[in-house]
Amino acid sequence: MPGLMRIFKRRKNNVIPGFGLSMGITLTMLSLVVLIPLASVLLILSDYTFAQFWQVITDPKTISTYRVSLGCAAIAALINVVFGVLLAWVLTRYKFPGRRILDSLIELPFALPTAVAGIALTTLYSDKGWIGSLFEKIGVKISYTTVGITIALIFIGIPFVVRSIQPVLESLDAGYEEAASILGASKARIFFRVVFPEILPAAMTGFALALARGIGEYGSVVFIAGNIPYETQITPLIIMNFLEQFNYPAATSIALVMIVFSFVVLFGINILQSKVNKVARGS
Amino acid sequence: MYVELRNLNKQFNGFKAADNVSFGIERGHLAGLLGPSGSGKTTILRMLAGLETPDSGDILIDGKRVNDIPAARRGIGFVFQDYALFRYMTVFGNIAFGLTVQKKEKRFIQARVTELIKLIGLEGLERRRPHQLSGGQKQRVAFARALAPNPQLLLLDEPFAAIDAKVRKDLRSWLRETINKVGVTSIFVTHDQDEAVEVADEIVITNSGRIEQVGTPTDIYKNPQTPFAAGFIGESIVVSDYGRLHGFQATDGFDQAVLRPEFVRAVKLEKEVFPHASQHGTVQEVYFRGNALELRINLGGQVVTSHQSLEEEAFKVGEEVSVLIYRLYLLGRDSVRLMENASIKSDGSFFI
Amino acid sequence: MRTKVTKVILIILGGLFIASMLIMPLTTVLVYALRQGLTVFTSAITDDYAIKALQLTLLTCCITLLINTFFGVFAAWTITKFRFRGRQVLTTLIDIPFSISPVIAGLVFILVFGRIGWAYPLVESLDINVVFAVPGIILATTFVTFPFVSRELIPVMQAQGREEEEAAALMGARGLRIFRKVTFPHIKWGLLYGVILCSARALGEFGAVSVVSGHLRGKTNTLPLHVEILFNEFKVTAAFAVASVLVVIAVIVLILRNIVEYRLKREKG
Repeated sequence: MPGLMRIFKRRKNNVIPGFGLSMGITLTMLSLVVLIPLASVLLILSDYTFAQFWQVITDPKTISTYRVSLGCAAIAALINVVFGVLLAWVLTRYKFPGRRILDSLIELPFALPTAVAGIALTTLYSDKGWIGSLFEKIGVKISYTTVGITIALIFIGIPFVVRSIQPVLESLDAGYEEAASILGASKARIFFRVVFPEILPAAMTGFALALARGIGEYGSVVFIAGNIPYETQITPLIIMNFLEQFNYPAATSIALVMIVFSFVVLFGINILQSKVNKVARGS
Repeated sequence: MYVELRNLNKQFNGFKAADNVSFGIERGHLAGLLGPSGSGKTTILRMLAGLETPDSGDILIDGKRVNDIPAARRGIGFVFQDYALFRYMTVFGNIAFGLTVQKKEKRFIQARVTELIKLIGLEGLERRRPHQLSGGQKQRVAFARALAPNPQLLLLDEPFAAIDAKVRKDLRSWLRETINKVGVTSIFVTHDQDEAVEVADEIVITNSGRIEQVGTPTDIYKNPQTPFAAGFIGESIVVSDYGRLHGFQATDGFDQAVLRPEFVRAVKLEKEVFPHASQHGTVQEVYFRGNALELRINLGGQVVTSHQSLEEEAFKVGEEVSVLIYRLYLLGRDSVRLMENASIKSDGSFFI
Repeated sequence: MRTKVTKVILIILGGLFIASMLIMPLTTVLVYALRQGLTVFTSAITDDYAIKALQLTLLTCCITLLINTFFGVFAAWTITKFRFRGRQVLTTLIDIPFSISPVIAGLVFILVFGRIGWAYPLVESLDINVVFAVPGIILATTFVTFPFVSRELIPVMQAQGREEEEAAALMGARGLRIFRKVTFPHIKWGLLYGVILCSARALGEFGAVSVVSGHLRGKTNTLPLHVEILFNEFKVTAAFAVASVLVVIAVIVLILRNIVEYRLKREKG
């Protein structure tokens, strides 16, 4: 801990007391709960040769789960960007009865336990469910296919996108759009030439957040996925399968791939976020 | 000296905020640190308070070196630029805070706070929260809060910066009177020379981390010792070709001169008194300045500024006038010299 | 006129999305929970295992909240009230759990405390079970919700600045008094907001808990895990009945969240 404390050295004199104590508590708890457990991943893998590691993470069955997880998460995040922009626009620019309720409903996926969402969506979109039976008639199966996985990930991801875009739209001066309309620009043109460039970084942040959450998501997906190897098996689930077989090195290897990917996304989000903040601050 | 700084240095990421700063303030005096923004005046104040640590040098209060004494035990009252009032406490709670920390008796606190509220003239507003007060009232509360624990030294960071121009004038004289009444040694920071001249007994001029000059307002005005001080105080214009002005000769080592409006007098041609010392110029612009007129006069390409009383007959734009320059400050690389108009004497022994 | 049409179309589109993605799932839960009548519903939610699961869920939530609130306050205080090198790095490190799959959050605790874990000899000598036991569930839940409180507090404390604290410290106040008298009144709504979000997630955490719990009925089953077991055993009505309890909690959380957010906005304005 003293070593870590030295890294985060106080830069300037400050009269507010408690730097050492609060930094100490913060770093100790962070290390105990997050950093040391995460680092154990590397410790376990140190007994494993690179060839073994490589074989597990490039096994065709494993690779098919990357495709499912990444593909469904990306499509879900894209759909969420479209509807996220639409919803954020509707919620910030229009006044209509029920707007407040709609606005708080956006948070539902944050508040609803993922397992509950999982069984509800599975039932709703199964061939006997209210929505699933409609699609059944035109020959589209949703539950237990990648379409179902995508729907679960849309559910999980929508608040991330809406809540990223909303503050930017709110801070965007309406006068800006008015000026463009006085200049004779059409509504669509105003949106795509004036508004869209402003909200693009926020939309990308929302996309990245939804993508990161979607790739790792387990609870809401596991029910609707059906878990057919090579078809609807997601990466978190293959980790779970290896764990059930007590094959810890294999589970850990794939976990490491996911962690590295998460860090890349996290890094990207951080860069995007600083751009968004600049826009919101208006500089 | 009651407060003394000796060879203070402070750098922020290679930027010198304090460069070998030394000066002293007498007990009971009210001193103003005056300089443009970024000149290091706030850093000096924060080092005095203990909010920043100097890289080197000594800070002495009452003869004791206080560098290693934590801010809270230096016996200092500090008034922040935006007051930093505790937004969730009442006026009473704010003023009482320092005394509560010192675990003073309840009855003592009550008496002391009441006394201070009377001093700042906010009787009846004890229960208000900061957001229910005007800017000037907040400033007074911040002042009383700093005074409550009876500090030996009061520091004020840009005390009038956040107040509207109208209230500012009243508050300035109020602050000066109240500090004199309380008798506490005080140092305030400002970028406004009018404020410094009006409030301070003593002015310390700072520029790029260095002290340019220390002295009374009159002293600094009359005898600026550095080119910066000469240019910063008063409404100065800088002239490079001062040798072309009548009555002045170019001097080696002094490339420029500072000319203040009160050094320049313009009269109608027929009223010219010193023909050799004067020269003719054209009135370019006339501005009404409330209590006087401000003139811009072109002297063969060099534009100078002068004031004219409203009692006199006003000049018209384009009119030719006779201009007399009494004196100039010559600026060398780091020295200043006063130069009088040499031709006035040859015109006869008149005194203005 | 055309603007009006666009407006109506956009609102309808947004409404359809919300109806099919959010409202209908919610309705599904309630309808399926009650479709076999009130008796089946009541017996499902008053079932012994359900009650035990609820107790464990609440216990986990409370302990997680205590840990994360304690951490969140200190972390936010450190990051906002002091200037130090590496502040951005620290903020990013705290956010790590947001981007890690819950399954991995569970996995890492097996790697530490499980039979292959480096801390296994230690916990064994103390005769404590962590993995497949309650401590593991609490740890995994804490990991997943770790940044929730600090993340809400940091912007609030940042906006407040540090001058008030500096002023108090200059007058000799110690850390605890400064926090209680000066900082806390500013952050109380933000703190409550963070606590609400944190408890919502802690109550519903599934993936991480699923990995470390071992699914021992009556011992290491939380409510979400209980829902899963019932659903997989094709006791659909019972599963939805228990789920409806969680839905009610979620709706309460949403309402509280709205109230607190309103207060928070008013404080700021």
